[in-house]
Amino acid sequence: MKRRKPDLAALPGAAAGEIDDRLTLATPLRRLLNKVFPDHWSFMLGEIALYSFIVLLLTGTFLALFFDPSMEEVPYKGSFAPLRGISMSKAYESSLGISFDVRGGLFIRQMHHWAALLFMAAIVVHMLRVFFTGAFRKPRELNWIVGVLLFWMGFTEGFAGYSLPDDALSGTGLRIASAIMLSIPIVGTWVTTSLFGGEFPGTVILDRLYILHVLLVPGVILALITVHLGLLFKQMHTQWPGPGRNNRNVVGVRMFPGFALKTSGFFMAVFAIIALLGGLFQINPIWLFGPYKAAVVSAASQPDWYVMFLDGSTRLMPNWELRFHLFGHSYMIPALFWPTVVLPGILTVLPLFYPFIEARRLKDYRHHHLLQRPRDVPARTALGAMAVGFYLVLLASGGNDVIADKFHISLNAMTWAGRIGVLLVPPIAYYVTHRICLGLQQHDREVLSHGIETGIIKRSPDGRFYEVHQPLGRVDEHGHVDLEYAHWTVPKKMNRVGALIPTVRGFFFPLEAPPNGGDRPEAPVSPAPGREEIGSGRS
Amino acid sequence: MSTHGTGTGDFDVDDRTLQRFDLVREGARRDGVEILHYVPHFPVAGTRLERRAERTIAGLFLLTGLAATAFVVAYIWWPFTYKPGANINKFYTPVLGLTLGLTLLFVAVAVFAWGKKLLPEEISVQQRHGGASPDDERKLTGATMLNMVDELGIKRRPLLRRAALLGLAPVGVVTIAPLVGGLIKDPHHPDIFTTTGWRKGVRLVREDMTPVRPEEVSTGGQITVFPGIPNGTSNEYADSPTLLIHLRPDDAEKMRGNLRHIARNAGATWGDFVAYSKICTHAGCPASLYEQQTNRLLCPCHQSQFDILDNAFPIFGPATRRLPMLAITVDDGGYLICNSDEGFGVPIGPGFWERP
Amino acid sequence: MSAAPPDEPTGRRPRRRSLLGRLAGPRAPRSRLRRRISSAVRMVAALALVGGIYAAFTPTVSAQDTPALNAAAQAGKGLFDQTCISCHGQNAQGVPNRGPSLIGVGSASVEFQVTTGRMPAAQQGPQIERKPPQFSADQARQIGAYIQALGGGPQLPEGEDLHSNGDIAAGGALFRVNCTSCHAFGGGGGALSSGKYAPSLEVASDREIYAAMLTGPQNMPVFGDSELTPQEKEDIIAYIQNQKHDQDPGGWGLGRLGPVPEGLVVFLVGIVFLALVSLWIAGKS
Repeated sequence: MKRRKPDLAALPGAAAGEIDDRLTLATPLRRLLNKVFPDHWSFMLGEIALYSFIVLLLTGTFLALFFDPSMEEVPYKGSFAPLRGISMSKAYESSLGISFDVRGGLFIRQMHHWAALLFMAAIVVHMLRVFFTGAFRKPRELNWIVGVLLFWMGFTEGFAGYSLPDDALSGTGLRIASAIMLSIPIVGTWVTTSLFGGEFPGTVILDRLYILHVLLVPGVILALITVHLGLLFKQMHTQWPGPGRNNRNVVGVRMFPGFALKTSGFFMAVFAIIALLGGLFQINPIWLFGPYKAAVVSAASQPDWYVMFLDGSTRLMPNWELRFHLFGHSYMIPALFWPTVVLPGILTVLPLFYPFIEARRLKDYRHHHLLQRPRDVPARTALGAMAVGFYLVLLASGGNDVIADKFHISLNAMTWAGRIGVLLVPPIAYYVTHRICLGLQQHDREVLSHGIETGIIKRSPDGRFYEVHQPLGRVDEHGHVDLEYAHWTVPKKMNRVGALIPTVRGFFFPLEAPPNGGDRPEAPVSPAPGREEIGSGRS
Repeated sequence: MSTHGTGTGDFDVDDRTLQRFDLVREGARRDGVEILHYVPHFPVAGTRLERRAERTIAGLFLLTGLAATAFVVAYIWWPFTYKPGANINKFYTPVLGLTLGLTLLFVAVAVFAWGKKLLPEEISVQQRHGGASPDDERKLTGATMLNMVDELGIKRRPLLRRAALLGLAPVGVVTIAPLVGGLIKDPHHPDIFTTTGWRKGVRLVREDMTPVRPEEVSTGGQITVFPGIPNGTSNEYADSPTLLIHLRPDDAEKMRGNLRHIARNAGATWGDFVAYSKICTHAGCPASLYEQQTNRLLCPCHQSQFDILDNAFPIFGPATRRLPMLAITVDDGGYLICNSDEGFGVPIGPGFWERP
Repeated sequence: MSAAPPDEPTGRRPRRRSLLGRLAGPRAPRSRLRRRISSAVRMVAALALVGGIYAAFTPTVSAQDTPALNAAAQAGKGLFDQTCISCHGQNAQGVPNRGPSLIGVGSASVEFQVTTGRMPAAQQGPQIERKPPQFSADQARQIGAYIQALGGGPQLPEGEDLHSNGDIAAGGALFRVNCTSCHAFGGGGGALSSGKYAPSLEVASDREIYAAMLTGPQNMPVFGDSELTPQEKEDIIAYIQNQKHDQDPGGWGLGRLGPVPEGLVVFLVGIVFLALVSLWIAGKS
């Protein structure tokens, strides 16, 4: 048999042929390659969460090779001198081992923790984007629900991870968690003892949290992410309204190579910032906290930031304890129950149903693929601002002892400020945001009918001064422009209509000007008339 | 497979006169994608600007390699074992972070620059095909599904339906039973909420198990004590840590005057000494920030404040109940001991539904 | 004993202090140690001399109300009568609503309050704060000697270095059970009720920490020598000083304040950076 020299150049083609013979991939593959993604910076926020999660899986696998969740007490013999000889659980001992005796272990541990914080931060920021732009509306309610569930799953995962090292902060957090479970009416004590295998802290809780943390919850998160992306892929991304964009199309770049290049670069950027944070900013220095002992606590004991709002709500809660008598026995609902069980319950259920509540209120059951500018939906935007205001007060209260200490404010005053603020800030935020939205709308319409303020002041022959406005369309005899507000971005500066060159080139704008000059299809209005037409001011 | 888009019907892919991009455009059209705007950044190849862009990106990749090498070198050879003080070992993690971060940052910037500067400018429009399925499709699928039900005959055979339900319901329980059965623990038998390590005669000991004499606690001082039983200082008795406070004489006088408000606390103090459970009645943190002049005890977790002189009444914050007081006295050896058969006599720490 | 052994922590501290000292006022911190040693030697000599002469010439003084004062205490009385007497009264008996009696507080308390600048107090507030001291360490000791002579009380051991003999690990365990609840794991201090606070230990010297434990200034509980033995106190000080001079192995320590600054960083650095990146690479409007 004659041996033929393989033709390397033809190899990929031949291989592709062989694969297609078996799998009939040509059409679906091309469809994938050609899928169009709209382009906007705010669409990248969810990706931060996705890529943080990948980093979490990678670093978490590394940590799992060295971590032992056992609560058995052992004396520390590792290299960190200030703890040597101290009795501690194996979990804490192995966490110290990762930090001081595994090469690069501290770096990976810190990356893991920062990635977790970033994961949750990105989820929250992404949810805000989706909420304020109305991207959750029909047909995307299900994806919104999946997103809310992802937040709570991430919350659970994060809390379990925070508890695992068994340092003094972990243990304090767990103790509060057990108190929260105890506060649940009727079943509280049973749930708590069942989970802890008896009295707090027992000997099994870390093993249980460990399996939750490394298998069950990540599995659920992974499944939810798959559903989240699958739905996104199936339903296609929303887009901002603009010229040529409507409810039936997507305007953007094809997935390959444009979008893929961008998003893989972004993955690298997310990975990079996590690496930089992990190396340059110390996080959770467990060796300062020491092993968990039931009698030990520190000033400024806080959970990670995404749990902190619940700590805040707990601090602000007045000491209201319900007591009542049933069948000759006295029962109670502790004050702890309301801010830590009822509040998160409301915060889960309300967002889950929000898309349906809004649709019902507005009687709007159509499909929406175009986003809304927040200013165009003042009621929703104001509601969102109200929620954010409420959340921020709780978040700040979660750290109110640190704020009190660093800014020399009375701790009791901080608590009272939070109690009053949590009632006062939301309505104020609602009102102010509502007014701002209306004002911005008004200004958009004004610019459309009168033109852009140029900053050029003219003096007329009769001595009046007026500012020259650049109209955005044809001017009628009253000096007005008949442009309808189309929910698009309205240019408000001269350089937005191509009249001025951006001062800094290259960073926010491509270095190379597009070859065919200014008539880009994205320009929201027809190109500006020549500069000699400047002159029609307010009549 | 039906095509999504609006490819031109008489398009001949084998037409020799077509450019490759014509094929791309046709492929995109068949997928419902119209490439509206497609302009290369550098229509003329090899201009000075293009070469500069290329060089920039190439440079970034080279920097990536450098940083990555630096990371590996640092990872292997930089000393990292713990040494107290400020020394080069303490820079191990920062150096790793910096080198790895820069590596990835260079990759990111190179990829971005590639996409921004070398890829053609493109605007494509894809038609959406979301929304409900066509009416006839819905009807056909609906009929298929209803037929499925008919085929099984569940509607016609009520006996079978009920029997299946009855038979399968326990199977569902089977999946939950081991989980619940394995985990469940009765909180009241033994009663874990009122029992602590404290019994009558149990000595108050420090963390190192040394017993405490009254004269060892200075006036205005406090000390965390544990029950002097085996493992009494360990987390096995997480509800037993107690704060022993030696009040100043005039403060102690005030405190003793207040003791009668709480029946359980009468006679529970010894001299100017008072002992409260350290476990906060709010969420179970150790309430241990004792302010010796104001005689307040602050819990650092949620800032509940207790008045030491008034049976640890919660005067601020979310706590609702007083800290339980431990009855103490001094034994023949001169050591402080617990003076109550049932320890604190009430459940320790946070509240719960059936708490009396 | 009085000379600092040339180990690392003490070698570093004077430099740190010098910056503070410069801020505080005209003091020459570099030579302070040497000056203090020599002044101590000189004082002992002077003491012996003056004491001898004093005893020889005025044998009947001790029969009066005020006990016999040695030279240091005599100098301290001078300082006391100039500055402290308005609040703490004649013979440190206290003035109602202005200042407490100082009988029995001991020289340790005086030295702590005066060298940290808390006394003389500037104004009444929820808490009297640390500020640049008005008296030198020697003057503080003289006042201390006076108060000690008046009513006795806890005294500090000799020497500047009260940490070298401590066991860091044992000190850490004691620190966590006794100190962290107010001063926090990182020693950065924390808030107490109604505007009071536990101060940061960042600038505290060995003697100051020792004195604070021994005397329980303001709202701090007292940790007398039977609660924490002198050895245990040195253990704790060793742990604190070691922690202060121990560079954070994980990068910038963020003030060792725990999750609050960490949460700020993840938004201000992480999210802001990535938002800028997305602004750079993706469309704007």
